This record gives sequence, C-alpha cells and structure tokens, in this order.
Amino acid sequence: MKIKLPSNMRAGASMGAGAPDPPEPVTTPLAAPVAPMVPPPVAAAGVEPESGSAPASGPALWAGEQAPAGSVIGQVLPMYFVGDESHSMAGEPIAAVNQGLIDLRDEVAKHPLIGKKVRFGIITFAETAQTRLELSELSEELALPTLAPRGRGTSYASAFEALRQTIPADVALLKGNGYQVHRPSVFFLSDGLPTEKADKWKQRLAELKDPSFRERPNILAFGVGEADPAVIGQLASSPRYGFMMTTGASTAGAIAEFAASMLNSMVASAERLDRGEQTIEFEKPEGFVQLDAPLV
Amino acid sequence: MTAAGRSAPVRRRVRLARGPVTIGEPAAAIEARLAAAEPYRPDTIADGGTAFGLTVRAASVRGLYKRYTGGPRQDDICLRLHADSETLIAAVADGVSGASRSDLGAALAVRYSTAAVARQLDSGTGGIDWGGVFEQAAWALVEEHRRACGDAGAGVEEASWSLATTLLVAAVRGSDVEVAAVGDSPAFLLTGRVYDAVVAEPERFDGLVGGGVDALPRSPGPPSVSTRSLDSGSVLLLCTDGLAMPLAGGDGEVGATLARELSRPPDVVDFARLLDFSRSTYDDDRSLVAVWGPAR
Repeated sequence: MKIKLPSNMRAGASMGAGAPDPPEPVTTPLAAPVAPMVPPPVAAAGVEPESGSAPASGPALWAGEQAPAGSVIGQVLPMYFVGDESHSMAGEPIAAVNQGLIDLRDEVAKHPLIGKKVRFGIITFAETAQTRLELSELSEELALPTLAPRGRGTSYASAFEALRQTIPADVALLKGNGYQVHRPSVFFLSDGLPTEKADKWKQRLAELKDPSFRERPNILAFGVGEADPAVIGQLASSPRYGFMMTTGASTAGAIAEFAASMLNSMVASAERLDRGEQTIEFEKPEGFVQLDAPLV
Repeated sequence: MTAAGRSAPVRRRVRLARGPVTIGEPAAAIEARLAAAEPYRPDTIADGGTAFGLTVRAASVRGLYKRYTGGPRQDDICLRLHADSETLIAAVADGVSGASRSDLGAALAVRYSTAAVARQLDSGTGGIDWGGVFEQAAWALVEEHRRACGDAGAGVEEASWSLATTLLVAAVRGSDVEVAAVGDSPAFLLTGRVYDAVVAEPERFDGLVGGGVDALPRSPGPPSVSTRSLDSGSVLLLCTDGLAMPLAGGDGEVGATLARELSRPPDVVDFARLLDFSRSTYDDDRSLVAVWGPAR
C-alpha cells in the first residue's frame, strides 16, 4: 500500500540537484544578448539582489522580482475525508481509520512533490457533522484528530451540508492566498445506513452535486460493514466512484485498504494536476466491489 | 607567463554548477531518473537560430514529476523552414498524460503537422488549410496506432487512448503570423510586459482549474485559427500548459521574469534553462517556441 519513495528524493527543498558546490552569485544577465533585433529594454536585464528577497542559494539574478499583489503563487488540489463516527464504528474500524490517516499524512509529507500540491481536510459525521481538520498541508508536524465514536445517529445530510458550506469558503481562501485551485475531491466512508429520512439526505446531496454549484466536488463513496450498496452508489459523483466492501470481509481490513487507496489516489491525482483533468485518478481498493451506480 | 612588469591575468575557474533558475518558492530538489522510453526521449531539447529575418528559440524540458518517476517527456516541439515562401513553421504539442504513448503522439503530431504545412506551401496556392493540416496530424496518430497494435481497422477512438496530444502550429512569414490549435496549448504575443493570448485562451483563473482537454486525434471540431502581426517590439510565444499554468496570464512573477529575459533573444542553452525554472507545485513538462520578428 505504501508509496515507495525512490532513492533520488532528497530531503528538503535545497537548490542545485547534482551540483555539490553552492552556486556563486550571478550578477550578469542570464542571457547575453545575441544579435539584438529589438531595442534593448530600458531597465538592465540583470538586477542586483534585494536583501532577503531571494532563496538563500538561488541565483541573484532572480532576486529583484517581487510577486505582484494578487498574483498566482502555486496550484493546489483540495481533498476531504468525510468519515462515519457513529457508534457502529467503535473498536477496530475506527482504529483502522485513525491509523490510515496517520499513514496518509506520513507518506504524503515524505513525498517531495505531492505534499505542496494537496490540501487535506477531515469532516466526520454521526448525529451531526464536525470539521475535525481544517483544510491543511500534510506535513510531518500536522497534528491529526483522533476519531472516536460519538452519538447515536448517522446523518449523511449533515455531512453533505457541511461540505456545501466548507468547500466554497476553503476555495475562496486558497484563491485569496494566490493559488490556482483544482476541483476538490471527497472520500466518503460509512459503515451504516443514514438514520434520517431519505428525502433529507437526498436533498442535501443534490445541492452538493448541483451543476450550478461552481465548486461541486468529485465524490468517491465507500461502504463498509452494514452500509447499503444502493445508497452508497447514489452518493458517488460518477458510477465509477461508488465502492462497497466485499461481503464477508473484515470491516477494519477494508478500511485499511480504503485508506491506502485514498493515498494512492492523492498521489496519482496530484501528479496530473497540470493537465487540468476533471476526473480524479482512482483504482478500486482490494476487498471492494465497484458499484454500477446511476448518476443522481 | 607574462613579461616582466606586467601583471598576471586573473585566473578564474570555470563554474558550471549554477543550480536551477528559481522563480518564487523553489520546487524540491531531486535527481532526475533517466526516462526508459522507446523511442528515445531526451530530457531536454533546445534549438534556435535565425531564418528569413526571424530569430527563433525553442526548448522542451521534462517536468520535475516525470524526472522523479523516470517517465518520458510528453511535450514536443518542431521547427521547419519553407525556403520558397520564406516561412518559418513551428509546432508544440502536449501529450495527454492519460494516454499510454502520448510522448510519441506529441512527437508525431509536431512533425507531421509542420510537414503538412510545408507541402501546402509547396503547392503555392496561397493560404494554409489548417483543417487539413490537423487532419493529417490526426491521421498519422491513427496510422501509428494501427501499426503498433497490428489492427488495420483500429480507429480514432482507440488511437486516442494511446496517442492523444494537443497541437499548436504557427506559420510566420515576415511579420505575418498564422496560428492554429487544438487543445489547451496557448500562443501569446508578448509586447513589453503584456501577454496577448492569440489562440487557446488560457483558463479563467478566477474559477476552478480543470475540465479536460481537447486533443488529437479525437478533436471535436476544426482547430481555432488566428492571424496576427509580429511587430518589431513583440515576441510570438507558443507554449504548453506546463508553462501556461505558472504563467497564469502573465501578471505574476513568472510573466515578469519571462518578459524581461525575452526582451532580446537569449542564448539557446540559457533559453532552455530559463524554461526549466524551479517553482513550487509546478512540475509538468514545459515547451516554448519564441519568435522575434524582423528588425525594422
């Protein structure tokens, strides 16, 4: 399940791969002009560094450039884990969720390229929904919540409503901070049936999937334990994205496989960010069957 | 040594290890793995020179992610001269990452499309039939797919799974520029610090990024075609989204850096090094063809 980190990954984000000596300060222009065919620019092409404005070992040439206010500084993919914290998850299942989240954080944090491109949030639901982790960069220092069974109910509606509120706010915040934001993804996991009226959660689900909802997420839905495949299948944003644990499998084992798949999906999706694909990269986890769900 | 009474010249050690050009926060430093691609795909290609009063620089560099995983560069470029009509023909292509041999798709698309333009110019009928150019490039992909899989009846759909690529082609004669594109590889006219989109209007970055991409051989319609005038103070830029994404319309520090460094044609190798800038979260392949017009 683990991502194997190739040996060519170096710790840290230092400069100059394959260059043992730190680069000398460059004060000449990068480009010595050849046969200029246009008038030279008014400003000199090579600028002296302004102190503190350059990466420590970067060529000084680039140091004078200040990022204009409101300009783009990076691209990110928001991903949310939406997990069931109802009583039926007590014991090994919830322990498997917690361990899976720790592994996910540790593996992504170790990856030299993915960590910066993904933002991860955790929302749980029982009778109510709670944001347990605000959308965060997965670094080794990130403190994860420990999920624990609470309450008697299983309100899917509260989870969908929380997503409907959270996602636009998160996207706006990321954009405000200068990021290009890719379509968010939701990994939904439940081990039981919703304990509210079907009309209620279906209404909230429809609002989340509404094509006019600009930040509508891709939803991957996973059923374990006593979850109803027919219900899980309706939650997914594409028929390919609904999965149900194989009959007779261990719930905790299936959750571990789910968590591994969530990690792999995160890596594969972040890899293709630049392509602008709308679909999320995902392969069926071991111990699950893909539900041929109709689109809601 | 020098004659008595004259000071010795200062001896300077040649230093090559300069590290990458950094714009903003650098990406992680990794040691690139060689790509095990067949046919051979070099990590970086760089070209440039003058023709018919035009000055051109062209480069295609493998993205950091593929350097990390050992994948082949899926972008490609091609330059071609048509002597009789004094036309520079240039193409860039961005292989769709979901397609298994899109590196080859991109390579075929740029070569066949530029050859098709040259053949049309040979016929001396005047204008370029861009629809025909793109059809021939698409057909080359289908033919290659048929050859590789041994199925003479394979069609556009099957070829799209293995060889899909965007394609952007320009014909420059004097100051007359014609550009045609299928997919999201954009062209710009850079004048001073202003990037004027010529074709493939970049994503609206106030919304979410994403939405799939049009690609050959399964293009939904004719290419978008645009004609412009390449004034002496402007540079025509043909690029792939690996550059267009961090460029983000040109308002930020990537746009400022490029505008400054391309105010005059840089040395060919420096041009490639500039294109290979390090910037956190941007790790896709990048290609750029820059054409400076005739001096007045």
